[in-house]
Amino acid sequence: MVINVKNLVKRYGDLIALDHFNLEVQEGEILGLLGPNGSGKTTAINCILSLLKYDKGTIEIYDQPMSPDAYDIKRNIGVVMQNVAVFNELTVYENIDYFCGLYVSDKQTRKKLVAEAIDFVGLNDFKKFYPKKLSGGLLRRLNIACGIAHRPKLIILDEPTVAVDPQSRNNILEGILELNRQGATIIYTSHYMEEVEQICSRIAIMDKGKIIAMGTNEDLKKMIKSGEHISLELLNPENLDLTEIQALSHIISAELTDHQLVVKSSRGKNNLIAILDHLKDQNIAIGKIYSEPPTLNDVFLEITGKELRD
Amino acid sequence: MFLFNYRYRLKCIFKDKQLMFWTFLFPILLATLFNLAFSNLSSADNFLKVNVAVVQNQELDQNPSFIQAIDGADDLFIVKYTTQADADALLKDNQIDGYIVFDSDLNLVVNQSGLNQTIIREFLDDFVQSSATIVTVISQNPAALNNGMLTGISSRTEYLTAVSASHSNPDPIVNYFYALIAMTCLYGGFLGVKEVVAIQADLSAVGARINLAPTNKLTVFISSMLAATTIQLLELLILLTFLTGVLGISFGDQLGYIALTCMVGSLTGVTFGACLGSIIKKGEGLKIGILIGSTMTMSFLAGMMSADMKYIVMTKAPILGYLNPANLITDSFYALYYYNTHTQFFTDILLLCGFIIAFSSITYFVLRRQKYASL
Repeated sequence: MVINVKNLVKRYGDLIALDHFNLEVQEGEILGLLGPNGSGKTTAINCILSLLKYDKGTIEIYDQPMSPDAYDIKRNIGVVMQNVAVFNELTVYENIDYFCGLYVSDKQTRKKLVAEAIDFVGLNDFKKFYPKKLSGGLLRRLNIACGIAHRPKLIILDEPTVAVDPQSRNNILEGILELNRQGATIIYTSHYMEEVEQICSRIAIMDKGKIIAMGTNEDLKKMIKSGEHISLELLNPENLDLTEIQALSHIISAELTDHQLVVKSSRGKNNLIAILDHLKDQNIAIGKIYSEPPTLNDVFLEITGKELRD
Repeated sequence: MFLFNYRYRLKCIFKDKQLMFWTFLFPILLATLFNLAFSNLSSADNFLKVNVAVVQNQELDQNPSFIQAIDGADDLFIVKYTTQADADALLKDNQIDGYIVFDSDLNLVVNQSGLNQTIIREFLDDFVQSSATIVTVISQNPAALNNGMLTGISSRTEYLTAVSASHSNPDPIVNYFYALIAMTCLYGGFLGVKEVVAIQADLSAVGARINLAPTNKLTVFISSMLAATTIQLLELLILLTFLTGVLGISFGDQLGYIALTCMVGSLTGVTFGACLGSIIKKGEGLKIGILIGSTMTMSFLAGMMSADMKYIVMTKAPILGYLNPANLITDSFYALYYYNTHTQFFTDILLLCGFIIAFSSITYFVLRRQKYASL
């Protein structure tokens, strides 16, 4: 096992940031820690990395207790912080070389690793640039390169795509998948459910310092009642009796706003057909139809009663 | 790791333009301004001779002793012998401060009263008094003319002798520059703050990254502080070269002791900044604000803005002088320049070393913590 956290408790005065937090991370997986801002993701990561003191619990990494001077463990960990952590006075190359040098003392080996990291994040044309000259996306890539240049076995990425444009975000996510393909175990924290769904093999949903649900994307969605979201544009909604729609089997809720009918259904076959048949019987014409499977937001909403993005 | 970090920290400090301005260019600019402001001040202290004219007439020719007396006072007067009309014209044009006319009495003609006119009058009064004394002595005891009694009348005896404490002449201006060097030493605190912020996880993101690495934090810290001190010493060396080579400020010739003062002063400044940086948990802006405020206060009390302040502190509250690193650095240079013994110098250096140990100990106790309560 790569990481084994048991009953971790971290308090800030009266506020409980981590409330008996438990986590197991297996070798080779990409584990997503998903939760709204303030749910305890970064606190959990900082405790795991022995940056933060905690009140209770045990943390083991590669079956060894983690501590600030556990250098053998630290050598195998790469961290990409939420805030860009680079020196503005050093160039792209020098920054990567410096942070790689904290792990790798041999100059020749380091030179090779730095070149690979620059190549990996696509900063070959910006090696001599200073961070202030880089765009937000390029800066995030530099931040990643500084965290992974020493080729760690375990990589922890804490919201690496915050304030990044869509193109750079895709590049970063592709890069993470590539690192995983090369053998790295990855912990990825985010409050963007789409990202977590896209790259993570297993997802832990956090709220109020606890993991409230854990499993694969499919496992999590199976935990909830919601089956699909059906949106229909009605051309003559005045003929609609909403209570009749709500009375159909497997329907959880139905709301009409202007010409837009939004129906949430539980799992079940032919829900959409049943709705369409009903509307046809009522002589209600339909403009457009959308059907979406449940999202992680629905999972979060159903478990906590609030939106993931709140 | 030590050298690796040292090299990169040197690079980081050198490339920090804001930091280099405050710790390097600002003191040089201030020294230049001091020099411009003080160049007139020291020349104003020089005595300017009094221009005086003496009207040539028959009476003057009959009093060669007066001509001898006024010509002998060449360190006081620039004397012109002229006619009455020319003397009037010179006085009208303010080319002379007054003129002397011998007729039945000794007369002084001036067109205003002032220091120079008073000096001429005092000289004439003295001459008249001495002449009257000689006339009285000769009339009562003509033999005195032959036995040398009269020589003593015009002679003056100094019963106090000025003895210099060193080879250098006292110059109140240099204290301003010594206080400026002290300020520069304490501005090394900027470097200390930067180095502490760079390695503390609760103060900067790069600090967090360094704490995550498998490296000994103390090694990183010591090499960072050494890099800061190296740069501070280089900056001081350039400042001293500028002060001595360009502005002509004297520091005496005890180079070894001057180097020791610079080294101890730099370490005091860097460790002072590191201490402030580690104990103040708020933003870097606040740390720098407190650093500038405290450094300027200490420099003010050490006499950087007014030489009298240093004197007031040392007479009214001497303990404040000994608790002020800026004053101790200023005093060290002053002691080297003026005193022939090193007692005062080593007292200052030892007290500064005490500050270095105190600042370093506090910093160490804060930095040794390996985990943080919050980030």
